[in-house]
Parts: sequence; structure tokens; C-alpha cells
Amino acid sequence: MEKTFVPRITSFLCTWCSYTGADLAGTGRMQYPTAIIPIKVMCSSRVDPVFILKAYLKGSDGVFLGGCHPGDCHYEVGNYHTRRRFAIVKKIFESLGLEAERLRLSWISASEGPKFARVANEFTEKIIEMGENEAKKKIFL
Amino acid sequence: MKAKVGVYVCECGPNISEKVDIDKILETLPGLEEYREIELVVKRFGLLCSGDGKTFLEDEINNNGLTHLVLGACSPRDHDKTFIGVCKKTSLNPFLYKIINIREHCAWIISDKDKATEKAITYIRAGINRVLFQSALLEKKLDINPDVLIIGGGIAGMEAALSLAARDRTVYLVEKDDHLGGKAVLLGGLLPRQGGGPAKIREKIESVLGNDMIKVYLESELEGVIGFLGNFEVIVGSPGDEEKKDLKVGAIIVATGSGLADPAILEGLDYSKTDEVITSMDAERMFSKEGKISLKSGGDPKSVALIHCVGREEKGYCSRICCNYMIKIAGYLKDQSADMKVTEFHRGLCLPDKADQGFQKEAEGRGVEFKRVRELTITGTNVRYEGMDGKSEGLKFDMVILAPALEPSEGTEGMADLLGVPLSESGYYQEIHQTTNPVATSIEGVFVVGAAHSPKGITDSMLFAQASAGKILSQLIPGGKITPEIKVSEILEAYCTGCGNCLDVCVYGAIYYDEGRGISVVNEAVCRGCGNCFGSCPSGALRTKHFTNTQLYEEMREAIR
Repeated sequence: MEKTFVPRITSFLCTWCSYTGADLAGTGRMQYPTAIIPIKVMCSSRVDPVFILKAYLKGSDGVFLGGCHPGDCHYEVGNYHTRRRFAIVKKIFESLGLEAERLRLSWISASEGPKFARVANEFTEKIIEMGENEAKKKIFL
Repeated sequence: MKAKVGVYVCECGPNISEKVDIDKILETLPGLEEYREIELVVKRFGLLCSGDGKTFLEDEINNNGLTHLVLGACSPRDHDKTFIGVCKKTSLNPFLYKIINIREHCAWIISDKDKATEKAITYIRAGINRVLFQSALLEKKLDINPDVLIIGGGIAGMEAALSLAARDRTVYLVEKDDHLGGKAVLLGGLLPRQGGGPAKIREKIESVLGNDMIKVYLESELEGVIGFLGNFEVIVGSPGDEEKKDLKVGAIIVATGSGLADPAILEGLDYSKTDEVITSMDAERMFSKEGKISLKSGGDPKSVALIHCVGREEKGYCSRICCNYMIKIAGYLKDQSADMKVTEFHRGLCLPDKADQGFQKEAEGRGVEFKRVRELTITGTNVRYEGMDGKSEGLKFDMVILAPALEPSEGTEGMADLLGVPLSESGYYQEIHQTTNPVATSIEGVFVVGAAHSPKGITDSMLFAQASAGKILSQLIPGGKITPEIKVSEILEAYCTGCGNCLDVCVYGAIYYDEGRGISVVNEAVCRGCGNCFGSCPSGALRTKHFTNTQLYEEMREAIR
């Protein structure tokens, strides 16, 4: 029997908002798939485009980036920079013929546990639909 | 020497133990030893955060000679500090420890125990792999200077100065005019006109001048600033005076007040100095000097139009104080002559304080007419307006008094540049958070108070001033030390090309360009460790301590292996 596909979604979460939001999803016992593996960073702006690319090429089936809502960044403007960089990364993915749909950026505040769970569910579902990330087998750096 | 990593899984009562198969974790993890060439000590414990748990961990670290520590437990928001405290009691540097949140992120999010266990194993493995690449970091302590520089000797600046001086802080009060008191001292009367009035402001000036802890520099300006919270060096000078004063302070309060918009920005308004159209400030000064408001051509006006919201739409914000003081001016006029026809043209009144509405009702009782209008044009002293019913009407007055919008005072841009504090869209200084941290700015140790912060009356200006004094008194204690953030960025000289991208993205002004070496340099005492500069660096010269590329990469690699 074929093994069911359990995706691995590298999830960079900022300490202040989205990580805390994810904690809240747990505290509220909201159910979401285990594909999401959180990697905590101080600010979403710490995750540079190259790192997103690396996470993808190394075989993450999805790369998720969570930050504070615009205007609410703990570091004031970090998430604005994240937003711009993320837009660039998506463009780069498209122009390289990589699957930009495997990337997702969401603003999740510290009080949005339900939103974290919803996004985690949606994104995992989408990644399962897309299947395994083939890039890791094709590209060597 | 092989790394010896202690991995302890907390049962957290039934919270983790019932939802995750801890024994399976303990069986699986040792598989990493060979792969990573490390030695593992893997155990479970009932409640690690309990007194027993802490003693257990301390003993484990000491007896096993652990080089690294990984805990599978709760959220770092709950007990990171607890376990850092445990590490500090031992020889293990707290930066070589990591807590993995298998409670909120594994146990509680899925009812399938196998899946939860599988994720917990992956997550802990990733944590072990990260911790192996973490470096021991040492806390630093810096001496602080508890003295304060205040820019602006208006009501806010004076109030802050008095509050700080009361706790024995030396205050340098720099004022660009030749007198203290700012705009408040020019007013004819203070709300709610319960007596005292401008004398109250003059009393404050006397207290400031008579206070030995407050050194007042009139006709002086801030010319240079370097440093950070607790250790600023500032240069104060006077135009035309060669001699500069170098001062050392721990914090800076900006209390530069507000300016008034030029009424010429009101479309259709023929505002000139010759006709009988004056601003509220003109009216205040006239009342303050002469005790009454007269026509420029001489004699008392028989009818006066008071125009609210001059320039509000153009500016894009409400100036908060105009409705109130226009009612106060109506009061001056009614005192002058009870028969005078006084009409207030407004666009909806803003009367937020507890006494305000009573004050307005009182004015109405004295015959002041309030007309809410949609549109309004003024030609000379003729007011043409469209009421809320859509009907237009023209009225002729002897005199028109305008309430121009408040705007950032002259020199705000230059000052913001000097201090490194960003400006908001309105042109006022940008605070950290409008609601939850209104007096602090992104430059730690620089506070903005009074009308320099946003349009404000005297009451709010005093409150902001006191708030900033409170922050400073609690942050800068004489003889105290500050512990700067350790997880800061650093720039590797060999890789930096000096492109300056990082300077542009840093809101804290923590990075400067070293011309001599042609590279950017991080001032570690100012850096907050967000890592935004890292995201902007094209040459790989940046490193964010405790969040290095290697650390995150190894964590990620193991998480998806």
C-alpha cells in the first residue's frame, strides 16, 4: 500500500505575533495538521529571500512565513520589508519556473489562534493537493 | 570532544504525557547519536518547571557534564526564563539551551497520538540540531547616566523637567526662544476658566527657573547627538555663538510643541493682515494684553464669526483642542459685551473631556450660536455657508476669528533627522505605538511629549510629559546599569561591501557607515536584534547572533529530513 503523503512545511514564525498566535491555537485546542514545523525568528524580516529559496530547494513541501499585521510589527516596519521581499521571492520563483504556490505569507497576530489554525489547515491541504516537492530531487546547489 | 546533549521531556502533568508517547520519543532520539556524532542523555520528568524539576535539571547538567540542553516542554513564553535561570546556576551558558514547545505545537493541536508523537520527535530533533550550532553568548552591563536633555521649554518640557528634577536628576532644558512657557504663556486664559489662568503657567516658569537641578539654556538649539539610552552625548549651541556646550545625558525628551497652519490653506478665504480676519492665537494674545478683543480699525466688534476646522481636511487630522478653545474665546467676547452676536461655525463638535459639554451648553445659554455646516467660504468678513439642511446662506460679521489646524512645529524635520526618529504621515513624530506606547520612539531613550507628539491641549501635554518622566525615572536609576540586547546583529568586515542597504532598513539607527574602513558597523548597544538588516544584506556580511544562518538552516534541515 502506498504511504500517505505527510508534507513538511517549514514555518518561520516571528516571536511576537505569529508564534504567539500559534501558541494560542494550541492553548485553544484548535486542530490542525502536524505538517507545520515552526522555526522561531525574532522578526519575519530576518528571513531573507535566499533562505526561503534554500528551505524550498532542501525539500520543504511548503514554506510558510508568519508576521505581525502591517502597522503592528514589534520592530515597527520589519513586516513591510518582509512583504516586499516576499513579493520579490515569488517573482523569482515564477521566473525560475519554481512553484511559487508552495510559499505563503500570512499576518497572524498574537491573539489570532483561530486564524493560525485556519491558515495551517488551508495551506497544508493545498500542499497535499500539490503533492511532494520535486525540486529537491531535481536541483543541486 | 563529543558534544553531550541532555534532552529532557516534560510530562507537564497529563498535558503532554497523555497526548504524546514520550517513551517512543525517548526510544527514537538516540538514533541521532551516530548521525550527528554526539552523545545524548535522554530522560523524562513529571514537571520540569517545579522546584523538583529545576533541581533535577541542575543536577543532570552538573553530573553529566552536559554541553548542550534541549527540553521538550511548553511554550518558551511560559518557562524559557525559568530554565535560563536553571542554566545560570550551572556552568552551562543559557544560549546553549533550547526549549521545544511540544505542548502547544504537538500535544494540543491533534488528537491522533501517533501523529503528535511523530511531530514532537521531528521538532525535538530539529532543536537538537540547532542547539549544536548555537554559541555561548555573554551578557554585558553598561553604566548609565541618569541626567536628561529636554528640547523645548513649553508647558510639556517644563512639566517633564520639574518631575525629573524632583527625583534629583540634572535636567538640561534647551529653548530656542528667549523665554520659557511656549504657547501656553501667550494665552489669555486657560480652560475651564476657573481662575488662575496664565498665572498658573507663570508659576511653573518660576519653579523651573528657581530649581537648581534644572539648567535652562535660552535661545539655544540641539546641534548634534550621538549615543544610545543611558549614554547620549549632545551638543547644544546658540546661533551666532561660537561656543558649544557638550552635555552627557541618559535620555532625551522632545517637547518642541506645535505650530499653527497658515490660514491661507483654506480655499476661498481671503486672509490678510489688513481686514478683520484674525486667528485664534491673535485673539488670545490680544485678550491677554488688552483684556479684550478689538477690531483692527478700532472699537469693539458687534458681531463675530468663529470658524472651526480651518485646514482640517487639508491636513487630514482633527486638531482636538480648537472646539474647546473657540468656546472659550466666545466666552471672552460675551464677557466683553453680552449683546455681541457670536456665531460658531463648526463641522461637528469635538468635545471629549468631561467638562466640555457643560461648557458648550453654558455658552449656548449665553446666546452663542452654534451652526454646523457642510461648506463654508469667507470673503472679507462675509461668511457664506451651506447648512446641514443643504440650504446656503450668507452672513456679514464685523470680525472673523479662525481656528487653524495645528501642525508640526518649524524645524521638526531637521530635529527628526538629527535624532533618527521617524516622522509619521501627518508630519508629527512617530511613536512606538499610538495606543500602547505613545511617548517612546524607535530610538530607545528618546521620548516625544506634548504637542510635538500630536495636536494636544495643555492637559494632555502635561500627562505626556509626566509619562515620559516616569519612563525615564524607572529606566535610568543613578548608579544603575543597563543590559543591552545580546542577540544583536554584527557585520563581518571581510564580507561587507559598504552598500548601505542595512542602514536604510534599520529603524533604530543602530548601523552606521565607517568611512575609513568603507563598511557598515552595528552599534550593539542600540541594536534590538530583529534581523531586518540580515534580510537586506546582499553580500552575506551580516550575522544575527543566536539566529545565525547556520543555526536556522540546521534547524530547518533536520525539521524536513
